[in-house]
Amino acid sequence: MKLKSHYLGKVKLTLITRSIAPCIVRSFAVLSFSLLLTACFYESADNKNSSHASSGMGQLLDGNTQGYSPVLPGKQLSFPADHQAHDGFRQEWWYLTANLTTESGEPLGLQWTQFRIALAPPSPTQTQLTSDWQTKQLYMSHTAMTSKQQHLAAEKWTRGNAHFAGTQVSPLRIQQDDWQWQSHNEQLFPATLSANTTEFSYQLQLDSQAPFQLQGDNGYSRKNAAGTVASYYYSQPFIEVSGTIERDGKTINVSGDAWLDREWSSQFLSKTQQGWDWFAFRLDDGSALMLFQLRDNSGEQQDFYSGRRMYPDGSGQQINSEQISMTATAWQQTDSGRYPIAWDISIPSQTIELSTQALNANASMPLSIPYWEGPVSISGSHSGLGYMELTGY
Amino acid sequence: MSSQAIGDNGLTIRLSLGVFARHYLKSPLQAGAILLGIILAVTLLIGVRATNANAVRSYSEATELLSQRAQLVLAPITGSKTVDESVYFTLRQAGVTQALAVIAGTAIDEQGQHWDIQASDLVAALSIQSQQASSNDKADNSDEAQSLSLLSADLPLAKLLAGAPSILLSQSFANQVAPKGKMLLNGINLDVIELDDSLGLGNAILMDISLGQQLLNKPNQLSYIALFGQAEALTQQVNEAFNQQTSSHFNLAVQDDGEALTDLTRSFHLNLTAMSLLAFVVGLFIAYNGVRYSLLKRQKLLVQLQQQGVPQRCLLLALLIELFSLVLIGSLAGFVLGLQLSHWLQPMIALTLEQLYGARLMPGIWQWSWLYQAIALTFAAALLACYPLFNTLAKQPLARSASRFEQQSNANKQHRKLFTIAVLLLAAAMALFPFTQNYQQSLALLGVVTIAIPLLLPLVLQVGLSLVQRLTKNGLWQYAVAESKELIAPLSLAMMAMLLALTANISMNTLVGSFEITLKHWLDDRLYADLYIRPPSDKVEPTQKLLASLPKVTAIYGQWLHSTHYQKAPVSLMTRDDHSLRNSNQIKSQSDNHWQTFFTGSSLMISEPMAIKYQLNIGDAVTVPEFDKAVLAPLPVSAIFYDYGNPLGQIIVSQQTWQQLNLSVPPTSIAASYADNIEELEAILQQQVPLSAAQMYNQTKIKQRALKIFKRTFSITLVLNSLTLLVAAIGLFSACLMLTQARQAPLARLYALGVSRNQLRALVSGQMLLIVLFTCLLALPTGALLGYLLINKVTLQAFGWSIAMVWDWQAYFRVLVIAIIASAVAVILPLLWQTRKPLISSLQQEAL
Repeated sequence: MKLKSHYLGKVKLTLITRSIAPCIVRSFAVLSFSLLLTACFYESADNKNSSHASSGMGQLLDGNTQGYSPVLPGKQLSFPADHQAHDGFRQEWWYLTANLTTESGEPLGLQWTQFRIALAPPSPTQTQLTSDWQTKQLYMSHTAMTSKQQHLAAEKWTRGNAHFAGTQVSPLRIQQDDWQWQSHNEQLFPATLSANTTEFSYQLQLDSQAPFQLQGDNGYSRKNAAGTVASYYYSQPFIEVSGTIERDGKTINVSGDAWLDREWSSQFLSKTQQGWDWFAFRLDDGSALMLFQLRDNSGEQQDFYSGRRMYPDGSGQQINSEQISMTATAWQQTDSGRYPIAWDISIPSQTIELSTQALNANASMPLSIPYWEGPVSISGSHSGLGYMELTGY
Repeated sequence: MSSQAIGDNGLTIRLSLGVFARHYLKSPLQAGAILLGIILAVTLLIGVRATNANAVRSYSEATELLSQRAQLVLAPITGSKTVDESVYFTLRQAGVTQALAVIAGTAIDEQGQHWDIQASDLVAALSIQSQQASSNDKADNSDEAQSLSLLSADLPLAKLLAGAPSILLSQSFANQVAPKGKMLLNGINLDVIELDDSLGLGNAILMDISLGQQLLNKPNQLSYIALFGQAEALTQQVNEAFNQQTSSHFNLAVQDDGEALTDLTRSFHLNLTAMSLLAFVVGLFIAYNGVRYSLLKRQKLLVQLQQQGVPQRCLLLALLIELFSLVLIGSLAGFVLGLQLSHWLQPMIALTLEQLYGARLMPGIWQWSWLYQAIALTFAAALLACYPLFNTLAKQPLARSASRFEQQSNANKQHRKLFTIAVLLLAAAMALFPFTQNYQQSLALLGVVTIAIPLLLPLVLQVGLSLVQRLTKNGLWQYAVAESKELIAPLSLAMMAMLLALTANISMNTLVGSFEITLKHWLDDRLYADLYIRPPSDKVEPTQKLLASLPKVTAIYGQWLHSTHYQKAPVSLMTRDDHSLRNSNQIKSQSDNHWQTFFTGSSLMISEPMAIKYQLNIGDAVTVPEFDKAVLAPLPVSAIFYDYGNPLGQIIVSQQTWQQLNLSVPPTSIAASYADNIEELEAILQQQVPLSAAQMYNQTKIKQRALKIFKRTFSITLVLNSLTLLVAAIGLFSACLMLTQARQAPLARLYALGVSRNQLRALVSGQMLLIVLFTCLLALPTGALLGYLLINKVTLQAFGWSIAMVWDWQAYFRVLVIAIIASAVAVILPLLWQTRKPLISSLQQEAL
């Protein structure tokens, strides 16, 4: 509704100066833009949507997965090779969330995500690219800094290019312009993560001694009950962070804990899934809990749950769909939509009964793909801090 | 009591307005004539206004294609044509990410036609655009510019980024140049992707840089890098990224918000504005004539209304309201038509602006304020013109019943008065003209002359007809001429408009014709070689060697070109071989020992436009940054040469000075004379160097192209002029129509007295022809006068081109014939309608 009136305002005397058709086309383009969220990460179920999504970015990211590498069970992930980009898969991300504390004790959330989006499947016959500029990879990064009063978010788009966007093997670097994860060697840790935006910037030292946690079945993470959609997924929930942030022209020392997720796939969601709610908690007993819900809109209640309880020694227990129940307890209207910002979570098999509270209820990301992402604290059977991501609303 | 009086007044005004409305319903011709004048006036005013405003906005808001307006540009360092792309990578890694890499150049299609193409990092372009768009949204700025998202369905990003042969064109340009959706450039078959015109691609050919570098054969090179954001902060960031060593990589230039371009094209737009104001005046003449006629017809009605007790004030107010309503309706219609007119005119100017000045036009915009201004201007002008009429009408004595078509008894006296004013105005303009410093002043004086010219007309007609009257025999024909004199008063306004349009047309034709002849002469002198070759830099030497080895090549010439700045404006610095320097320039003025000092490297030559713009004379010292670099003192100007059509100033130095300046050794272009058929030489060069056909121009080809481009500069003025003439013809038509209607009774009386219908028709046509002929006769000297001023004052001062005035009789007779045909139609049509009516109804006309 808002979009529509916005465009009507711009149309004015188009009748005379130009035909009215382009304006309609344009507002159409914007419609499909908002559908990107669905198009980008989820296969949209309803026919109306998929007809939109079959154009533009939708066409690039939705639709046909043919030609892309499939996600198959039983594959052995190997490091450091799998820290690098997997250009044969359609989508991929490097994703870090950090619960930090400033010198003065102010709690702060920080998120950095670098997405890779393949525009076309790898060609069967290896054609020699004649120019550095030629690419099939598009990169998008998001970063956000969340305090109780403030939520700052930024985005950048860049083409895959050896000089400014992509990954480098030695030393390992995950880069988009000056937003960079720069390791000291070929491993992910220790590393420096830095980013600059017009409103804030940061430089964080990251280190972790804990082994990586393979999610799902040895890194093969199912995204629905039928097992038709899945991703490769591993995490590092135990990262020590120290460093500095700059905000409002001031440099502030921060320290805390961070969580890294690595995930790649050619199809993340099935046709009937519309979005997800994802949680990452560090519990006060030293363990960590990853939990997600994939919401289904096919009418029958087919929401899919998955989780993992993880320990710093690398051990962990997989938590299956039927063991998890979660209920939204509060909703917040933000600039980019209405989100359920508080949840009750129950996992009897792990004797976990939690309630979440968002540090800042307005932590929506009003970017090309709008979603909610912010630091949360938990109470109940355990206490602790973590991050929550809500998409597809 | 007073409130009741106001109520009464309101009622009487309403009643009067009702009566007026009935009057116009009964004779729609009168309302039509008034509306027509206003509509035509406002149409032309708005049409040109919108066109100009859009062009100026296009310069000042010129954005990178599909992106935003850049604040800083990293350009190649002096002597280099490109920036290395590593600069772009360094910038991005250093966090200067509001940056856009661009490579531009020309490509050739299969017919050998050149196309300017531009390639950029499309992902950067579009993401910068969307960021700025969203920040604008935040500030609640309703931004008119349309934007395209990276994710838009219209954009096949996968293909573009993969370097597939796909190019982006605006829809209308694509329809024009690639109706089949394909283009073949530099031997590569390209798919055309059409984007909406509102995205502002204009006539550009855009592609992703991955394809662009290949197509232009410029791997790893950039033409420039555009930076977005705050200029000072960006400069600091860039300096930090390159450790303050920027000058060895690129030149950092702050964008000037299109000021240079606006400066360059100002005279062009002023020209258009002047034409539109002229058209506005002509339109107002028609409207005024209409108002005047409708009032004369209502004279009796107005008296009757007053006799019924309608107070004078109310009557006046009612007339004013009526006028305002007509202005309102006319302006509104004119506004809409004007926008449409500008829609048609814009592609025309877009070509001129792109080819001559390198400016890109953006999709049209318009503002409501133009409508308000047009209404205000029209109403003010109409009020000024009509108020005296209203006043005399409203104040006429009640006792007098004005049943007869009132002839202006003191017409003769008034004509003399107008003539005196005209002569005074002309004399004042003549006295002031020698003192004008710039074209704005000249144009203002030209406006005074333009006002004075029509005022001359009534007396000239009066005197002219008196002379004719003496020559005619007694009888019907003498009666006809005598009656013609009576017609001068009612017809003079329409004839004045006609005179104005004729004068403007004749003067403009003279200007364009003279310019064309001057340009041809200049080109003949300037282009003395048979073939002009512009080889790519790596083929200059082989070309020179090959030419030297061919026995039939009788002479080889060279030209060296370098772009620089003089007082911050771009100028070209150039030299040629000694023979060309001596023979290819038409010298306007020179010092006594010009060639001697010039060839010893102690003086230089500048072009006429540059001399006029900076008021430089022989002997003045000139310097450019290159002189400072070579530690060379400023050199005096020893000659000024003619240069037409070049918007940039030109400085020519001798070979010796060129070497002192350490500028490029290989020539930019080579010319050769050939003893045999020139096509033979072209073929040899194509095979043996090899050069493409498009890198060579033979003399005739250049001349054609030059004439074509420069004629375009004036084509829009000619179009406006023809429109003005059209407006005047319509005005004359409506005036004749009304006049013939008013003359029904006298003509019927003549018919009743035994004058045959054919004689009557001949009589009326003859009268009209006589008046038109006298008007055309007057247009001859006034057109010449205006043309002289346009050429020797306005054009010289605005463009810096001296043009020898050449009188074009053919053009004069052409407009004359148009004027006569227009008036013939204007007279004959109503006459035919009238003379077919039954006699009695025409006779009754008097009584009604």
